[in-house]
Amino acid sequence: MKGRVAWILIGLFVAILGSASILGMAKDTLVVAVMAPPRTMNPHGSDADCNLQIMANIFDGLLQRDADGNLLPALATSWERVDALTWRFHLRQGVKFHNGNDFTWEDVKFSLERLKEPYPVSEFLAFGGAIAEVRPVDGDPWTIDIVTTKPVPWFVQNLHQIFIMDKESTETRSIGEIGEYPIGTGPYKFVEWVKGSYLKLEANEDYWGGPPPIKYVVFKPITESSTRVAALISGEVDLIQDVPVELFDMVKSSPNAEIITRPSRRSIWLGLRNSPGFPGSDVRVRKAIYMAINEDEIIEKVMMGHAFPCSQIPDPPTVGYDASIERLPYDPEEAKRLLAEAGYPDGFTIKLTGPNDRYVQDEQIAQAVATQLAKVGIRVELDIKPKAIFFPEIDQHGLDFYLIGWFDGSYDFGRSFTKLLHTVDPERGYGGLNGASYSDPVLDKLLEASSSIVDPTLRADALRLLNRVAMQEKIAVIPLHYQEDTYALYKPSNVQFQPRPDGWIVCKDISFGE
Amino acid sequence: MRSRTLNHYLRDPSAVLGSFLLLVLLVGAVFAPWIAPQNPYDPKVLSLQDSLLPPIWMEGGKAPYLLGTDDQGRDILSTILYGCRTSFLVAFSVILIAGTAGSLIGLLAAYYGGVLDAVTMRLADTMFSFSTTLIAMLLLGIFKGGGIPLVILAIVITDWVRYARTMRGSALAVKQEDYVQAARAVGASNFRIMFRHIIPNAIPPILVVAAVDFGAVVMLEATLSFLGVGVPINKPSLGMMISQGKRFIYAGKWWLVVSPGSALISIVLGVNLLADWLREEINPRLRKR
Amino acid sequence: MCGGALKAPPCLISMISYIIRRIGQSVVVLFVVSFLCFGIFQFLGDPVLTLAGRYATQEQQELVRRTLGLDKPFYVQYAIFIRNALRGNFGLSYTSQVPVMRMILERFPASLELALVAMFIALTLGITLGVVSSLRPRSPLSRAIMAGSLLGISLPTFLVGILLILIFSVWLRVLPPFGRGEVMRIVGRWRSGLLTLDGLRHLILPAITLGLYQLAVLLRLTRGGMLEALAEDYTRTAWAKGLPQRAVIFKHALRNVLIPVVTMAGLQMGELIGFSIVTESIFQWPGMGNLLLTAIYESDHPVIVAYVMFVAGLILFINLAVDILYGILNPKIRYD
Repeated sequence: MKGRVAWILIGLFVAILGSASILGMAKDTLVVAVMAPPRTMNPHGSDADCNLQIMANIFDGLLQRDADGNLLPALATSWERVDALTWRFHLRQGVKFHNGNDFTWEDVKFSLERLKEPYPVSEFLAFGGAIAEVRPVDGDPWTIDIVTTKPVPWFVQNLHQIFIMDKESTETRSIGEIGEYPIGTGPYKFVEWVKGSYLKLEANEDYWGGPPPIKYVVFKPITESSTRVAALISGEVDLIQDVPVELFDMVKSSPNAEIITRPSRRSIWLGLRNSPGFPGSDVRVRKAIYMAINEDEIIEKVMMGHAFPCSQIPDPPTVGYDASIERLPYDPEEAKRLLAEAGYPDGFTIKLTGPNDRYVQDEQIAQAVATQLAKVGIRVELDIKPKAIFFPEIDQHGLDFYLIGWFDGSYDFGRSFTKLLHTVDPERGYGGLNGASYSDPVLDKLLEASSSIVDPTLRADALRLLNRVAMQEKIAVIPLHYQEDTYALYKPSNVQFQPRPDGWIVCKDISFGE
Repeated sequence: MRSRTLNHYLRDPSAVLGSFLLLVLLVGAVFAPWIAPQNPYDPKVLSLQDSLLPPIWMEGGKAPYLLGTDDQGRDILSTILYGCRTSFLVAFSVILIAGTAGSLIGLLAAYYGGVLDAVTMRLADTMFSFSTTLIAMLLLGIFKGGGIPLVILAIVITDWVRYARTMRGSALAVKQEDYVQAARAVGASNFRIMFRHIIPNAIPPILVVAAVDFGAVVMLEATLSFLGVGVPINKPSLGMMISQGKRFIYAGKWWLVVSPGSALISIVLGVNLLADWLREEINPRLRKR
Repeated sequence: MCGGALKAPPCLISMISYIIRRIGQSVVVLFVVSFLCFGIFQFLGDPVLTLAGRYATQEQQELVRRTLGLDKPFYVQYAIFIRNALRGNFGLSYTSQVPVMRMILERFPASLELALVAMFIALTLGITLGVVSSLRPRSPLSRAIMAGSLLGISLPTFLVGILLILIFSVWLRVLPPFGRGEVMRIVGRWRSGLLTLDGLRHLILPAITLGLYQLAVLLRLTRGGMLEALAEDYTRTAWAKGLPQRAVIFKHALRNVLIPVVTMAGLQMGELIGFSIVTESIFQWPGMGNLLLTAIYESDHPVIVAYVMFVAGLILFINLAVDILYGILNPKIRYD
């Protein structure tokens, strides 16, 4: 009796093992493995890229960006800046939400005003706070003016990540429901979300821009990078985001996988406090730290070659980028000499804070920096933590030395500087992300002068000047490198995919070849 | 009596093997600062150029990195020795503290009985039914940045129960014995009774519990460090090494996981072999036929 | 039951009063746990900054603080918390603004399935191998089983998981290393992976990982108990009477050994919940343990508090059930 049971069990086991064939997903479904799970289906509830990219498939903003980063019409067909505070938009007619409601200017007004509501509604409080009024022009419901509280030169640059919600269904549902069942105007409709497992979307046949080529999309969060790669190679997923650098060669040599890379817009750099009395208040110390870091070695050994040295925070397409700024050379001897000159012949101790789950190899980069600085006498105490704890610490401006990455979705270095390096001034909205309370009155004045310039060319010149002074004279930050955005495709699925500068996966631009 | 135990010990291959494993790693851990080729936590000696090297017998291996290096250039052998140090430190500390405190509580509860006994045992039972792993994880996850002392404390908080229970059981049994009643009748002080009669009898079972517990604590510390809530990142730990190394198993660099893993298994296996032997020594009825 | 000599009614009363007393004690424990949890979180961290978003001003942060009720005194917040908890409302998660208890309940089936399958494997294999190795203790098979069980209790769960992935997913490529696979909806939000072949494939490695330690423990326990039972007088008597060996083993020895083993298994469910956190993390199993780990990393306090309360209630319930079961199985117990 026992023997027979054993045989049955063995048979079952073999049958299960034998079903190693991939669960045949008909080729109308694209399975994408992403690094971080979506947090919520409320499009205003999170300003993290991992959430916004999903929302971009279900919702539309007034504007959108294409795969080259150009700003294009979406729910607004055209726009212009009327004066320093007013922006005018012509709205698209005949658009319907997924529940059948018509899109009207009232949905725009509702959505923008919703941004002002604090947790649990919106994380875009600052952007919402900048909006004074939304009103139709001369009674025409398809032309609206958005008035800001103060001049915001980069206002439209942000609109591709501000999504428009349906006023009626949002007002009648609880925040819990809104966070679980999204209703937008976008190319894909929500089907189901099994948290922690997958999110399934279906093509919106009535999309105003025409139905997207792929019928079903499934997003699977796989946080463990090596598992993500394994899923791709076995064919369980068709496309993965963020190929870990240590597995890059292995994926490249695999016959089933194809790698696509793109220089990222994101620059990785180190912020350093310059308060009086602190070692970083002496420019020579800042220079010494810069020159003690062997960025080439970091790129070669930590990033495995998948990074590009940078000399400034903005990337080439951003307004304010200056190609003439160069990196300081790697020179540990000179670094030691500068430290001695500044009064630190025996170096000093400093705490380096950084995240471990946000940027490519973030923890490893910090460790490498610590090792390199030790060689010139600077003793680094590492303080690595998850981004959920790291970013609030940045918001409190109490750090001394930190690793962070940045790319500005509005392509404007003025906005970046306002958030990152302007002297902290919460009342006026300056320095929100200035983690070490960096403060330089000269740079502040340059920035403030630039925000009132309306002519884009003159403004660009002013921003480039600010950039040059900040990087060459003041060493406001210590730049490291630009990351590389990496994706991998499952070859047999024949996915046609072009990476975007913002790193988002927008499925309507993806199709199956053949 | 003593020579009989020694005889049994020497005849039992598993006990000898176990203690050998344990001894090798213990010596290595204690003398790590002197015998390790490199102090992997001193950034001045590290070189990124030497990162991710395989063990010396494989192609690409390079002296003095006998077992290869990790992604920051740390020598694996050295890191293992220092990691063992942490494991032993935490395990010994926990056993010492939990053992002493737990035994004391169990002794007092058994001896004085009554409300003290009831309350203590209820408390102990409740604490014990919640997994040690879970409570340690929660405590360390909530109070971040406590370092090694906090890890020890988090484990002690639930670990003392097994010692209390054992001591209590032993004490209750002895309490009924004639010679204890006699001693009481004569007017011997409580203290004296406890020390001269109860404790000596309780020591063998407590030793067995401690031996088994040692292995469990080592595994628990490794698990906590693996999850990132144990030993801080700049202090060595076998669990943390395995956690950092597992990314690389797909890239074919298996030694980053297998080497520290083997060291960890060796410690626990060694202790368990000894514990098994000890248990059989102490409880003759269980001896193999 | 209850000593046999007693008549039914007083015995039933004594058992019911025991149950009521235990439930009362459990409630007290739950309150203490909730108080501790809550108290701890009062003194840690400031969730306001995460929630108001990175670009908010001071004023907007104050608004968030007031909306969340974080500006009221401690005891008021605690009272509100208890009142809400009794209604099943544990607040919204800080990171995803979804009702917390709902998040936990959604993930509970996944953890439950994993735990049950792991325990099933541990019980069946553990008891079987334990019996087998006790019959002929010196045989090579028994020695091999014993060595295996020793290894089983010396391998930490996370290492087992990683090694299994290394062997079966990386080298042999036969089993998937993550997730639950296809799941089928049973009722309401309950989704099960047991009914699909793909779901079962995904269950194997995590269940083995989780169950291995328990398997080894139960194996050793069974073996020890069987060895003792087989040496007992009544067994020898049965042999002397000429009963077939099989009957002796199964009817007498095993039944006596089964009781402590099964109750041990029940009590180990608490430990299992702890280890399942590690297993779920390695295999990215979408269960409660994984949720807790993420919440710990992100300091998502409502989730942690709700999880602790839920698991505390679960463990207390299981212990009570096991105690009652033990009482039913073992006629010698009295409920004093």
